[in-house]
Amino acid sequence: MAAAISCSPTDLRPLLGAAANASAAAEYICSRFDAVSNKFVDTAYAVDNTYLLFSAYLVFAMQFGFAMLCAGSVRAKNTMNIMLTNVLDAATSSIFYYLFGFALAFGKPSNGFIGQHFFGLNKFPSQSFDYGYFLYQWSFAIAAAGITSGSIAERTQFVAYLIYSSFLTGFVYPIVSHWFWSADGWASPTRADNLLFGSGVIDFAGSGVVHLVGGIAGLWGALIEGPRIGRFDQEGRSVAMRGHNDTLVVLGTFLLWFGWYGFNAGSFLNILKAYRTSGSYYGQWSAIGRTAVTTTLAGCSAALTTLFGKRLLSSHWNVTDVCKGLLGGFAAITSGCSVVDPWAAIICGFVVAWVLIGYNKLAEKLKYDDPLKAAQLHGGCGSWGIIFTALFAKKAYVNEIYAGQPNRPYGLLMGGGGKLLAAHLVQIVVFIGFVSVTMGTLFFLLHKLKLLRISTEVEMAGMDVTSHGGLAYVYNDEFGYPATPKLGSNTGTTQSV
Amino acid sequence: MATWATLDCSATQLADLLGPNSTGAAHFICDQIAGVSTKLSDTAYAVDTTYLLFSAYLVFSMQLGFAMLCAGSVRAKNTMNIMLTNVLDAAAGGLFYYLFGFAFAFGGPSNGFIGHHFFGLSKVPSATGFDYSHFLYQWAFAIAAAGITSGSIAERTQFVAYLIYSSFLTGFVYPVVSHWFWSVDGWASAGNTENLLFGTGVIDFAGSGVVHMVGGIAGLWGAFIEGPRMGRFDHSGRAVALRGHSASLVVLGTFLLWFGWYGFNPGSFTKILSPYGSSGSYYGMWSAVGRTAVTTTLAGCTAALTTLFGKRILSGHWNVTDVCNGLLGGFAAITAGCSVVEPWAAIVCGFVAAIVLISCNKLAEKLKYDDPLEAAQLHGGCGAWGIIFTALFATEKYVNEVYPGKEGRPYGLFMGGGGKLLGAHLIQIVVIIGWVSATMGPLFFVLHKLKLLRISAEDEMAGMDLTRHGGFAYVYHDDEDSEKPNVIQLRKVVEPNTSSTPPSV
Repeated sequence: MAAAISCSPTDLRPLLGAAANASAAAEYICSRFDAVSNKFVDTAYAVDNTYLLFSAYLVFAMQFGFAMLCAGSVRAKNTMNIMLTNVLDAATSSIFYYLFGFALAFGKPSNGFIGQHFFGLNKFPSQSFDYGYFLYQWSFAIAAAGITSGSIAERTQFVAYLIYSSFLTGFVYPIVSHWFWSADGWASPTRADNLLFGSGVIDFAGSGVVHLVGGIAGLWGALIEGPRIGRFDQEGRSVAMRGHNDTLVVLGTFLLWFGWYGFNAGSFLNILKAYRTSGSYYGQWSAIGRTAVTTTLAGCSAALTTLFGKRLLSSHWNVTDVCKGLLGGFAAITSGCSVVDPWAAIICGFVVAWVLIGYNKLAEKLKYDDPLKAAQLHGGCGSWGIIFTALFAKKAYVNEIYAGQPNRPYGLLMGGGGKLLAAHLVQIVVFIGFVSVTMGTLFFLLHKLKLLRISTEVEMAGMDVTSHGGLAYVYNDEFGYPATPKLGSNTGTTQSV
Repeated sequence: MATWATLDCSATQLADLLGPNSTGAAHFICDQIAGVSTKLSDTAYAVDTTYLLFSAYLVFSMQLGFAMLCAGSVRAKNTMNIMLTNVLDAAAGGLFYYLFGFAFAFGGPSNGFIGHHFFGLSKVPSATGFDYSHFLYQWAFAIAAAGITSGSIAERTQFVAYLIYSSFLTGFVYPVVSHWFWSVDGWASAGNTENLLFGTGVIDFAGSGVVHMVGGIAGLWGAFIEGPRMGRFDHSGRAVALRGHSASLVVLGTFLLWFGWYGFNPGSFTKILSPYGSSGSYYGMWSAVGRTAVTTTLAGCTAALTTLFGKRILSGHWNVTDVCNGLLGGFAAITAGCSVVEPWAAIVCGFVAAIVLISCNKLAEKLKYDDPLEAAQLHGGCGAWGIIFTALFATEKYVNEVYPGKEGRPYGLFMGGGGKLLGAHLIQIVVIIGWVSATMGPLFFVLHKLKLLRISAEDEMAGMDLTRHGGFAYVYHDDEDSEKPNVIQLRKVVEPNTSSTPPSV
């Protein structure tokens, strides 16, 4: 919120000197300015809430994008299942995040580990928190839960989804976001005092907090329950299990791209803020525009690198690989999008494309099966993004966004020393540790209770038929007339998606 | 500082009014006013950037819409190919427009033909008025133009040809055109108040010409040079419908394009916090923005209804995909004049656009011109109609509000504004056709001569997804996966050691 205009009647009154009613005149004039000042405060709240709410709607649209990406990437017989998990990530998470997730994440004042206020949005709204902020953070929480569902797709019991999703959104994710995003968090860059390594961790929109968390959780789930039947043959060679609809994959990818503008640029939370003196063309609105540009360039560069990289490696131009590369670029730029220059974003995207290709090859060697390659993409590219930020964060941008701390560290390759990198390495280690201990144990328990993986018969038949009321696609009507015309005829309906 | 935010307060004037020894008080008060002024400036930047960024995101969503429209309009065996071109239009466009496209288009100060500042966004943001949000918005437009062309050459074009034409169009051809009509330095721009073409400049508010005609004419040359798809016209020259594989995707894409058009047209104001006339009125740029959204909507709706009934008369049934194309033609046409015409005029625009599209399609069939997305007919034909429509119906009031700073400028012929605007707009049509033909035409011809343009007959029969893109887009049954006869064949085709000639892309 911009600083208020100050008009003090006691200062003005002597300047009015000989005027008959100088005091009254001073009071009157200053009261007019106070009214103007209050109107500015109203305006700023309205503008910032508009910005934040529409950013939240954009991040929510990513649920839709991820649902389409998932649907298109799995086999047709499991489409109903994966889409239901996506709908329910959003639905169950709302309840849990409202009841206690948001409180554990942002309740203040609190200690460095966990929050303890605002349960059930108690004491809302206040000077520092309003409903728009809750909705925005909720949309992030459901994104993290969605990521994990990709790793365990096509072979997980539905009740296991409900349990892991509630636990992740209600507890594990909020705690992690408290550490790095709450002003009380032990590793947060906005702490008033006692910054980790004098720096805190700069994970602006969550390469670590969202992507690495979702990816590591998914990794454990997929590891513990093992690969899908048929994914690796008897000799251990990998068998491609293609998704059933690449159009949905592209649809989902574009929607995720669209929503990412809310995810990254929206993480500023407000737009009406001057950086230098008031009245300049340069302000937080410029940084927001720049963040949208760095996001775009990282994705574009990752997509192009993947296109040509896969052309070299596999001799054809593959749209689904390009889509995954694009998303990997976004996952990586997410942590540093606001503190790097556009040219650095191009480098980020270029490197991350190779990181993803590398992790995918490693996964195959280790016989790790992840239908959405979520652990490789979100975990692998997310961790590269954390390191990238520690290398390329620019001094001017770091100090504009995290103001109030002179001489704070910034990117190593920009001359800012190694402290930011050290803090970021700590972030990676801590994530892997905490998420493994919590989600790994949960998945293991579910596995022991035989609640995790579905039976072989169900897996062969497909979960839609056995547990979800039937297949997603019905191309023959009840009388058996096919929807697709025979070759050579122009009659009949068009095959629909 | 944002110009709207300037508040005058003269300390000397105020001191006179307050009487003797009041200089201190006058300064105090004027300092407070100056503080208000700067806060207003911050507010305006925040509001306008929010408006522009969200408009940019909307225009970006049109890429998705166009991807779905393209996918649904081609045969299933080419789906992967067309969608990859759409993803790459955006990706390659991002890189090239950042490196030099934006500079050619809006780099200033510069000559009337081409810009030469802001390469790699250097000196952005600056006090001259460009911030990152402007770049993002213009990038979204640039990739829209490249996307249009891909529709005309779908289903039979080599992938490397796509990469080449797309980079050239977004990095050079399109930026130069947008410089002429949209940069304040451009020779034909309506904002070039020092040197207006015919005293008016061209009013192409959101790009019926700059975007739609450019994309359509480029597509026309590509499709013309490489010829129709196999089987599109039989031996007697009769047209054979090559139906798209999914009407659902066509409708999905159309609706997404409609949704995004609210960023494309009203967003072209690039800001919203600006009164017309004096401050404090209910009427301001925000009203014009709303009116533009309304004209956009009405033109599309009218075109859709006209197409519905027109095709019912001509072909005997109600056809959703035709209606979708008509709808989009209405939008392409209103794009030039959306901000300067009355809503009732937008209805006229849509009605005529539908007729123009139907006629252009009939003409294409007669000339045996094959365009899988009807892109040249829709974007080229309806775009050209939109340019003429604007020159006929632009109102005096709106023209002077949207393009202030020149008294007595020409406006729509039917509204009493004389023929100069029409003269300028006819020049625009000629110049766009000329420039795009002179640049993209030779490019496609050279690619054709180097045998880099059209795919082989075998590839076209099998479908590019199978031969170049790793397999079909759709795998509905598991056993298709495990039998994999096509995958074995694929390995034989692309293995570099065994084949004598390297596979063409």
